[in-house]
Amino acid sequence: MSARPGKYLALIPVLAAYLGMFVFGRVQPDMWQLVAMLAFYCCLGQAFNLFLGMTGYVDFGYVAFVGVGTYGMALTLSRLSGVEGIGFGALVIGLLAAAGMSAMLSIAVGAVALRLRGAYFAIATIGVNEGFRYFIEGARIWNGSEGIIFSKDLRAIFGRETAIALSTFWADVFVIVIGASAAVVTLIYMRSKIGFALTALREDEDAAKVIGIFVTKYKIIAFITSAVFAGLLGATAWALKLTYVYPPDAFEIHYTVEAIIIVMLGGAGTLLGPVVGGLLYGLSKYWLAIILPGFQLLIFAPIILVIIVAFPEGTVGYLKKKVRGTALERYIV
Amino acid sequence: MAMLKVENLESGYGSMQVLWQPSLEVEKGSITSLLGPNGVGKSTLLLTVLGVVAPSGGKITYEDLDVTRMPSHDKVDLGLTLVPEGKHLFPSMTVHENLLMGAYRKEARRHREESLELVHALFPILKEREKQVAGSLSGGQQQMVTIARALMTKPKMIMMDEPSQGLAPKLVGEVFETIEKLKEEVGLTILLVEQNAAASLDAADYVYIMHEGRIKAEGKPEEIKGSSEIREAYLGV
Repeated sequence: MSARPGKYLALIPVLAAYLGMFVFGRVQPDMWQLVAMLAFYCCLGQAFNLFLGMTGYVDFGYVAFVGVGTYGMALTLSRLSGVEGIGFGALVIGLLAAAGMSAMLSIAVGAVALRLRGAYFAIATIGVNEGFRYFIEGARIWNGSEGIIFSKDLRAIFGRETAIALSTFWADVFVIVIGASAAVVTLIYMRSKIGFALTALREDEDAAKVIGIFVTKYKIIAFITSAVFAGLLGATAWALKLTYVYPPDAFEIHYTVEAIIIVMLGGAGTLLGPVVGGLLYGLSKYWLAIILPGFQLLIFAPIILVIIVAFPEGTVGYLKKKVRGTALERYIV
Repeated sequence: MAMLKVENLESGYGSMQVLWQPSLEVEKGSITSLLGPNGVGKSTLLLTVLGVVAPSGGKITYEDLDVTRMPSHDKVDLGLTLVPEGKHLFPSMTVHENLLMGAYRKEARRHREESLELVHALFPILKEREKQVAGSLSGGQQQMVTIARALMTKPKMIMMDEPSQGLAPKLVGEVFETIEKLKEEVGLTILLVEQNAAASLDAADYVYIMHEGRIKAEGKPEEIKGSSEIREAYLGV
């Protein structure tokens, strides 16, 4: 538990995976869209794992943070397109707005819902996502149900060439960087007091309380961090890449379900799990769509069921047990 | 001198009130026993005193300090802790890691090495099993880890909720021996909730009987033992 040499060695495999995706996409340009999809799933899992994996709490409204981040970037670009010479400043402001808005939403939701335990928390969060979507549509804020289309604004700010490069290439690169950053933050948390507190509360919240751990504080830290990465993911993978946002797309609940599957498949609370889960999930989805188009979800459900029954700790959780006490222990975390 | 003073405490869960103004005092350096059948609010009282359950009325004084509204993590800093009912340990951590987690607070961490020595002297088996994953220990050893982890918080007063629950008769005796050692050798103040009335009466310096969220009787163990009325009505011994 104390400082020991090589405590950050575990970053090597996870960062190598993100770098590998990038390199593969550059070497095989016709596979870039596949890489973009895989990066999205890995990043989604990595961000969600910061909360679900570290605390053991399931947030069924998680995609709301991705959606709000998407709006953060969309609003920034559409409002700032008239500002002379703003250029890349608009991107920075957009990312900050995305992070800030998802952080604020997570504080508002967390302050109420994180007082609830386990299943009650899960139930309470289901409503958040749908509620927020209908709030945007019903109250007609942020252009209501018409959404925001800002491809014109993107061109006005950056010029045609750069705007295309941003949505077809750089948006995906940002997603890879955000996923890798989420992994770095995860390991920093794991190796600090925060991680010990979160592990303790995940394993036994009552025991954590009686030894003096301020559990609510650490739950909120994990919740906000996870939400911020989700917001950044939305700002890049959805806003920047698609150049439009509609409420039903931004708050589509099946992304929450996919995030849960990825984290469970890879191993909740592990560092490497979301990448393994994201790759497994993304590749199987891609492959099933080719060999059995239209049937992928029907086939995918039982496959996931079998994996979760056979490896309840996820792929990486299982591997971690296998390498305990060996030299690989430091790398598979 | 009273280390802990509880006055007219009220608390519960949501709209369900469990504690109906019980009052009690725990003398410094004593073992005070809280007895009563299941479901009368003994655990709720301990959880409320620590601050895990919020009180809705009454007053809690610890070392002459009003701690009624103080959150549990601050109370742990003041040297108050609880061994919760059931075996609440961190199952995937090793025995050693469980103990280190006990010294999570800054104040406790400063005394970590001496606390570890104390704990290993009290429970030598935990030193032997140091590297074993806590979830794979036997029931009795798990209970030892829970008590040992509480000691790692560097407490002055420790509340124990049914520490002998579910243990083999031989181990029940060992748990009570440990409790008496904690008082005699370590100098801890102990508030003990037990279903094992006979053993509890033998160990205690003072006894409270709780029923339906209220204190129904109190006295020295001999007095309680001497009153057939109390024994029949509340203890079944």
